[in-house]
Amino acid sequence: MSLFGGGNTFGQSSVFGASTTTTNSNPMKDFEVSSPPDDSVSCLKFSPGTLPSTFLVAGSWDNNVRCWEVQQNGQTIPKAQQTHTGPVLDVDWSDDGTKVFTASCDKTAKMWDLNSNQAMQVAQHDAPVKTVHWIKAPSYSCIMTGSWDKTLKFWDTRSSTPILSIQLPERVYCADVKYPMAVVGIAGRALIIYQLDVQPQEFKRMESPLKYQHRCVNIFNDKKTNVPTGFALGSIEGRVAIQYVNPTNPKDNFTFKCHRSNVAPNGGVQDIYAVNDISFHPVHGTLATVGSDGRFSFWDKDARTKLKTSEQFDLPITTCCFNAQGNIFGYASSYDWSKGHEGYEPQKMKPHIFMRSCFDELKPSTKRN
Amino acid sequence: MGRKKKKQMKPWCWYCNREFDDEKILIQHQKAKHFKCHICYKKLYTGPGLAIHCMQVHKEKIDKVPNSLPGRCNTEIEIYGMEGIPEEDVKAHEKNKSKKAADIANEGDSDDNSNPPPSAAAPMMNGMPGATAQPGMPFAPPGMRPMVPGGPMMGPMGAGVPNPMMPQGGMGTVPGPMMGGMGPMGPMGMAGNMGPVNQQMRPGMGNMGPMNPMNMSRPQGPGASRPLFPAAAQSSTATSTAAGGGRPTFPAAASVVSSNSGAGGGGSATITGAPTIKKPESTSGLTSKLVHPDEDISLEELRANLPKYQRNLMESMIASSGMVNTSMAQGPPMQAGGPPMQAGGPHMQSGGPPMQTGGPMNMGGMGMNMNMGMGMGGPGPNMMPGGMMGGPPRPGMMPGGPMMGNNMMRGPPGNMGGMGMPGHGPRGPPMGGGMGMGMGMRPMNGMPFQGNMNMRGPGPGPRPFN
Repeated sequence: MSLFGGGNTFGQSSVFGASTTTTNSNPMKDFEVSSPPDDSVSCLKFSPGTLPSTFLVAGSWDNNVRCWEVQQNGQTIPKAQQTHTGPVLDVDWSDDGTKVFTASCDKTAKMWDLNSNQAMQVAQHDAPVKTVHWIKAPSYSCIMTGSWDKTLKFWDTRSSTPILSIQLPERVYCADVKYPMAVVGIAGRALIIYQLDVQPQEFKRMESPLKYQHRCVNIFNDKKTNVPTGFALGSIEGRVAIQYVNPTNPKDNFTFKCHRSNVAPNGGVQDIYAVNDISFHPVHGTLATVGSDGRFSFWDKDARTKLKTSEQFDLPITTCCFNAQGNIFGYASSYDWSKGHEGYEPQKMKPHIFMRSCFDELKPSTKRN
Repeated sequence: MGRKKKKQMKPWCWYCNREFDDEKILIQHQKAKHFKCHICYKKLYTGPGLAIHCMQVHKEKIDKVPNSLPGRCNTEIEIYGMEGIPEEDVKAHEKNKSKKAADIANEGDSDDNSNPPPSAAAPMMNGMPGATAQPGMPFAPPGMRPMVPGGPMMGPMGAGVPNPMMPQGGMGTVPGPMMGGMGPMGPMGMAGNMGPVNQQMRPGMGNMGPMNPMNMSRPQGPGASRPLFPAAAQSSTATSTAAGGGRPTFPAAASVVSSNSGAGGGGSATITGAPTIKKPESTSGLTSKLVHPDEDISLEELRANLPKYQRNLMESMIASSGMVNTSMAQGPPMQAGGPPMQAGGPHMQSGGPPMQTGGPMNMGGMGMNMNMGMGMGGPGPNMMPGGMMGGPPRPGMMPGGPMMGNNMMRGPPGNMGGMGMPGHGPRGPPMGGGMGMGMGMRPMNGMPFQGNMNMRGPGPGPRPFN
């Protein structure tokens, strides 16, 4: 049986055209995903490890969600795509890898059944939906959507009404779920942590460790117990906070700077870029950050050291993710609006999605710990 | 002549030029302001000490002394209180001081003030003004005055607007006062505000609302706050100022705006509060620039407001005719207060007196012409803009054509033309769009006050960007 049912594939036609390669579009010489979206890539997610092969899903500002099969040799085969009536802002996979959830500016979230290649609306908000996450608990499963309408809603995929709707003080800017923890970053620099054990329940509100707008958040596990224990929060001010929910020692929490231009020791202006996305390595527990500066960096939060920084791409890097085995780092270079409308030159800003073989590069630092 | 060196120089801080009565206080200041580790807050004793601390303890390289003036950020010069200051800087400081004493003119201060604001942003501001008691004080007043006027001005403006809208005849009179106020404002405060405003405008209509609040808050923080804006504005877009003229208006309507912004912000049904512009940077002290639009809302929200990304939604939701209406609705949110201001802005720049009448005229006319203009705009705009502008809402705005039409009707064509021209020229296509929007907005706004409710009614569906 084919994982992807009907036709409606993309990429065979020349619609997407051959990617034009500019000088700095692929400075890291990584594998380039074929038939990338026409407009900026907002989100990327690899399929869960429950599937025998690896698939990559990308949401884009061109309203489409695309799915590729990723082969061992680094080649990608376009498989299918679905369309929203507005830009797609987030995607997530169900734990069994049969479905993909998509959140869009059209105020809906959809569930895309890859077997039948059918997509149906499963959530509705009063404003664009910024985040969507699949929650798999022993006693229930649902999807969580966060919106600019200042609500966080939980849906079982069969009902048009949410099973739970939580009013938030502000718009949702970022969120992450790793059962039994959910973290939501909202406008006004607030953070709310939920525990999902029996049902979603507010656990704690926190003051932000950062001074600027939240942009991305990603939960990490405790190294020994492998249970979610904290999260990394990225802001528009080139800074990431490593925050433990229950720090054993206040010094466990810290922030570090990243995605900033180098400045000569005397004078000069340092450009500070937004941290667009953060992703933790599923095996090593190290993390990757990507920024508006067009670079990605790998970090070891425990050793508090930087493992690697990429060359600079000619476009910002908008999103990143690791596959389930942790041997592929996927990232997308495309315009993120950090320079506003003035910085937008659609003809010169062709999006690219790259995959990097990364397992060794993300091994924890061996220097003194 | 003879009394230049009346007293010994007061101790001053090499890093920020601030003066102190006592060197002990100076040392305390340096430890707290310039030698404090931003990670663990430990206070070191010298700049090099701080650099070594950060390198060894936190593995971070500090290349500039925190909160220092540009050019005074060197981490290798060892300064403790008044010790270690390079000879030439001591002389320069003395010279500067004596000059100030001689003439209370602005020049001396201007140097100090102008430099710090752009670079160090907020933190600097706080320290500087208050700290430099003598120099700072004189200056402060000047800055303050302009600001104050603005505040009052704003109020009147907002109030004036509604009226104009109602009775067209009244417009003529109203404008006069408005303009008068504007004149003064323009140079000082307006310029600063203008720049930022423009930027916001472009991104999305919805943003407009939020902007106002920003401006409003700024005024309160008199002299200090202002410098920040200009710096940002200038760096980003020189031309914006001209174009932005329109924006300033908002502030006036502050209260009104805020209420509108919630509903109004075209796409931003979601955007409630007034997005505030972020403070520039002050982090580790040196000059740094945040590569991010001024509005404190997410990049996605800004982007989603673009017509380009709303187009599909619109299409799916409404018929073409409906489109026009929706676009209109979106525009209005900008704020009632906005319209008058915008008119004023352009006028100021162009300097044309006629403008004044034109501005008001437009406003009044807006209501009347709205339908006409909109219809025109809808189709026309698309053509003009080309691919990008394709979106319905903006396009309408874009087209200078529609606007012109309105003006023509009124009779103050000249004014209209003036308005449109400036915008388009400097900004270029996208900018033009922004301008256009502004224009369109006005009409809406005018109507809005009264019609807002109505506008919103229809608006909600389409407006939310989605």
